[in-house]
Amino acid sequence: MNKEIDTLIKDFYEHDYILSEELATSIFLLKNLEKPLLLEGNPGVGKTMLAKTLAEHLGTNLIRLQCYEGLDVSTTIYEWNYQKQLLHIKLFEQEEDKLALQNQIFGMDYVLQRPLLQSISSDKPVVLLIDEIDRADEEFEAYLLELLSDFQISIPELGTIAATSKPLVILTSNRTRELSDALRRRCLYHWVDFPSKAKEIDIIAKKLPNIDEELATQVVTFIHNLRKSSLHKPPGIAESLDWAKTLLLMNQKNITDEIVQNTIGSVLKHKDDVEFVKNKTVQEFLIPVT
Amino acid sequence: MQAVDKTFKERLIDFTMYCRERQFVLGPQETRDAFAIAERGYALDRKLFQYSLKAIYCKRKEHFDRFDEMFQRFWSRYYEEKLEQRQKQIKQLKKEKDTATIIFLGTEFKVPKKEVKEQEAKQTVGANDSIRLRMTDFSKVNVADKEKLEELAEELFHQMSIRFKRRLENANRGSIDIRNTIRHGVSKGGMMLDLAYRRKRKEKRKVVFLLDVSGSMDTYSYYLLRYVMVLKKYFKSLEFFTFSTQLTHVTPLLRANNEQQVLNQIGKNVHSWSSGTKIGESLTEFLSAYGHKFLSQKHIVVILSDGLETGNVKVLQDAVRTIRRKCKTLIWLNPLKGMEGYQPIQKGMVNVMPHLDAFESAHNLDSLLKLEKLLMDV
Repeated sequence: MNKEIDTLIKDFYEHDYILSEELATSIFLLKNLEKPLLLEGNPGVGKTMLAKTLAEHLGTNLIRLQCYEGLDVSTTIYEWNYQKQLLHIKLFEQEEDKLALQNQIFGMDYVLQRPLLQSISSDKPVVLLIDEIDRADEEFEAYLLELLSDFQISIPELGTIAATSKPLVILTSNRTRELSDALRRRCLYHWVDFPSKAKEIDIIAKKLPNIDEELATQVVTFIHNLRKSSLHKPPGIAESLDWAKTLLLMNQKNITDEIVQNTIGSVLKHKDDVEFVKNKTVQEFLIPVT
Repeated sequence: MQAVDKTFKERLIDFTMYCRERQFVLGPQETRDAFAIAERGYALDRKLFQYSLKAIYCKRKEHFDRFDEMFQRFWSRYYEEKLEQRQKQIKQLKKEKDTATIIFLGTEFKVPKKEVKEQEAKQTVGANDSIRLRMTDFSKVNVADKEKLEELAEELFHQMSIRFKRRLENANRGSIDIRNTIRHGVSKGGMMLDLAYRRKRKEKRKVVFLLDVSGSMDTYSYYLLRYVMVLKKYFKSLEFFTFSTQLTHVTPLLRANNEQQVLNQIGKNVHSWSSGTKIGESLTEFLSAYGHKFLSQKHIVVILSDGLETGNVKVLQDAVRTIRRKCKTLIWLNPLKGMEGYQPIQKGMVNVMPHLDAFESAHNLDSLLKLEKLLMDV
């Protein structure tokens, strides 16, 4: 195995993130090819956590842009500081050189930097997390193209601002809508799947060192069987951890029907899913996963 | 680009083309990135090279799921010496002429000696290899083409499955949801630009496949079986039976996720592979044991058989007539129909023809893909 990839895996492990060799290779390329990385996968598989851990691993800042419908340039790239501009005009209104005044108020000092501009203006490369890009509009995807391919942003009054340091960009998507081909082609790609049973037990043991191995195995078996059932929202790793934490707090050694009835709310977030599980016995979900 | 030797460059470009042929959207940038990683020496470590190309070439989950197998298939093949490959092929061709044993679903079956008429397949009109293979009768595929046909079948079936998915999704857009349209309009200043649709209740297509796995169908049943497995993914209410001298309900075996597992399961559980053909009796058994459950005016029944009945023809005719009366549409797919000069004049076929809604061929990939339209339209 490549030494750098090996170091990545070990370092991420120390930061409580268990990285597969395949995903580690994608991170390695993200750093070496300087291309954004698009992570797709079901909610709760650790996409956002990966960006956070990468920032910790590199000892740099994480700039996070949480996407939503209606996101625009003023909230993501820049906005003029109107109050400051007005104040400046007021102070220098006696000035005769109006052109100079205009140039002053449309300078970088009067720009309020939003996450995307911040990420390329930083002295040291930062990790830029564009989270849940599938929630944003297609227009916003178009804004992003220039940044993702050339690491620059164009502001009409100022011209093109090139990156002082290239950020490491991670985009995540839960596939609630299909992203454009233009965006995909600018990125490296990785599909983050639910972890294998053994890996998920490792994750729980790593995050909750006090947990009994038998209980961790039962939790993971139960969750894996749940994922095989056709639920509205299959539980992610976050839900496994929440449940394991709950059971640990309740000093449970085994999963019983009563415990499931009382705590399943920390695993399933949909009424029909909860009812589906409550109508079955615990043994049905503890069948060993192949 | 000096660190990358010329033959490797050519291989990498070939691989890019190979991926493009399989619907990967790859432009010059991806090729440049691939060369960049090769130049840095990542290609020396096979796993690193595989994962790196995977990150660069895949743009969506569908690509991601298929990439490893494609990489394996392409690079393993290329690392073998061409000469060695050729020698193997010659040996295999010789073997095939000497022996008359075929391996199907992991089991050896003895079939009558046949001369492999290589030329026959090659004479098929076609602009390139893929078109030629699509048009080649399954029973006339030579050993050298077998692997290529496997690959092509996998690729074309995959594309077909995507088309099915899209069509079924589009067909269910439903009527405009006024309430949600207004709600979406609020963020656009009251302009109702995005129409919301009320999802229409899906009218389930119910399909029953009855596949003849008798000896005379050996060369076809493997591909027909895989075809039905692809369809199963998109028709939730698809029921699948195999028959020769006895009927087997195969649907429960199709639940495994892995295609190879499914094939193994079927191989283990269907005991009448390559035996004689009693179509009439098998269909009668289907009617009595499953007819009440799987036959209604919503069901499309597809029989995949060569119609070479060895049992009582009257029984076959009665069974087909009853099935037709009880279902919405009855389709018969006969691989022999693809043969030049074939006429359905055998006793079995003559008697059932009047009861069929469609009688189509199913002897090569092209004819199987044409059925897609038939299944979507009914």
